[in-house]
Amino acid sequence: MTATLAASRETPPAVPARPRRRRGRAGQRTRTFYLFVGPWIAGFVLLTLFPLGYAFWMSLTNTDGLSPNWSYVGFDNYVRVFQDQQTIASLGRTGVFMLATVPTGVAAGLVMAVLLNRDFRGRALFRALFYLPAVVPGVAAALTFKIIFDKNAGAANAVVGAAGGEPISWLADPYTRFVLILMILWGVGGSMIISLAALQDVPRELLEAAKVDGASPAYAFFKITLPILSPIIFFQVVTGVIGSLQVFVPSLLLAPVNGPAAVTAVPEGNYLFMVHVYAEYFAKSHFGYASALLWVLFLFVLLITGIVFKIGSRAVFYGGVDPTERKEG
Amino acid sequence: MSVDIARRARLTGLYLTLITLAVIFSGPLGWLILTSLKAPDELSVFPIQLFPETPQWHNYLDALTFIDFLGYARNSLILATISSVLTTVSSAWMAYGFARLSAPGKKFWFGLLISTMMMPSIITLIPTYLMFAKLGFVDTYIPWILWGLCGAAFMVFLFRQFFAGIPKELEEAAILDGCGHVRIFWKIFMPQSGPILAACMVLTFTASWGDFVAPSLLLSDDTTTLAVRMTAGYVNEQGFPIQNLLAAGSTMFILPVLLMFLFFQRFFVQGFSTSGLK
Repeated sequence: MTATLAASRETPPAVPARPRRRRGRAGQRTRTFYLFVGPWIAGFVLLTLFPLGYAFWMSLTNTDGLSPNWSYVGFDNYVRVFQDQQTIASLGRTGVFMLATVPTGVAAGLVMAVLLNRDFRGRALFRALFYLPAVVPGVAAALTFKIIFDKNAGAANAVVGAAGGEPISWLADPYTRFVLILMILWGVGGSMIISLAALQDVPRELLEAAKVDGASPAYAFFKITLPILSPIIFFQVVTGVIGSLQVFVPSLLLAPVNGPAAVTAVPEGNYLFMVHVYAEYFAKSHFGYASALLWVLFLFVLLITGIVFKIGSRAVFYGGVDPTERKEG
Repeated sequence: MSVDIARRARLTGLYLTLITLAVIFSGPLGWLILTSLKAPDELSVFPIQLFPETPQWHNYLDALTFIDFLGYARNSLILATISSVLTTVSSAWMAYGFARLSAPGKKFWFGLLISTMMMPSIITLIPTYLMFAKLGFVDTYIPWILWGLCGAAFMVFLFRQFFAGIPKELEEAAILDGCGHVRIFWKIFMPQSGPILAACMVLTFTASWGDFVAPSLLLSDDTTTLAVRMTAGYVNEQGFPIQNLLAAGSTMFILPVLLMFLFFQRFFVQGFSTSGLK
């Protein structure tokens, strides 16, 4: 507690009563803390911990969610995860998708942020235009891309037609994976906004001093700006990796069939890990096996989070936050 | 003089780059609007035309009636309002505890809060859905009320960072006056949190408005949201999408989000920069 001068001058009268009431006051304080934080703890237990436990329990069975005839199968479902060709293939595709979207997305966002990080007329307009797609709901973005890459009426085939080519089925294999990647990269403005906010933290004096010392803008960027931004870039890569593991709604919406049956019609190129999990749950009713897949994903994310926290203690996480607050966290 | 020319050339280069990027980024929405104004026969000619012969504004009216657009929009509105109001207030409430109160276990809970921020929600969503189904919560808004009451980790973090920056003088004076923490929260902290409250409301509202997975799992064809209905509603008897109506519907579906974003833009940016994390 850092009391200010004004406040400390007023506190002495309260002191004599303190020793006797200390336990009661500390207890009171604890109760107040849990009065405020309690709902979150309750939510964590009931809506995170419990569902996770439920999924784990299912993963040890062969339940289909409906039939009463299920039995324990131990860790058989987990063994199957590493033998199932579809799982391994979908993980591979997710990896490629990740490599195609995360580094490019972060780099493009950074370049756009650097372009906008100066004073010129129209800056706010360009910033808004670049950021706009990132606030378009994912459902609408997917529908938009479905319309653009439609075989008969889409803009993509208008270009192909103008160049004298035959219409291409963009939403089928092998092209649909590129449509998915483009759709994700369209929202790169989100990354730009984060990098732009982080660029405000780069001390101007440092850059000016470098300029006075004769450093080129490129040299200053790589030796001053980039190191200062490294925590935020690292953070974006981590959230990007975790984010791309859970992509499945765009795959469903870009599929040629609408509604609940979409999951069975996802072209192979967009059949990512989470699509596979969703299909195992809701198309095949393999609740046990699907829950095992979900747990493997959970453990993987846990591993990443653990690594991030290890590195995070070396100031990655709290970069940009008042350092005096660090001990409280 | 030559310095001036170099500067001008650089500025021109900057603008050319930015304009190219602006065209690329607004292109998809531009095409969406163009498609929404086309007549049905313009959607099946080859070579494909860029512009509609005459803009078919009635497509927008048709899109409103082809599915019960306003009915589903109302469902979305109710759900997004429940979700954003509850999540915002409860997240602020919890953040006050983390920012201003101390108790044994605080470090542990805050660490847990931070680590759940990284957890993809989809991992818990499917088992939660199965759990809710067993409890009979399917086709009700109870799940959203529960989610709202329990706050969102990222929002708690956002508020906590903001509250940590509020000077302590006022609340210390209030404590001396015998004011409890609940009143301090409502009378001192909430009134000072305008921008962050708005940012949180807008972010959770738009997230809920656009959410597909939770309503598609938990709600039925009648009670579901516009986001879900949009994806399957605009099809002809053969099950093929009716492109111009789909585009008009999508445009109207995006519009509230874009307006909110344009109106509250500075709160978005502020929210991100005060979080120091995202």
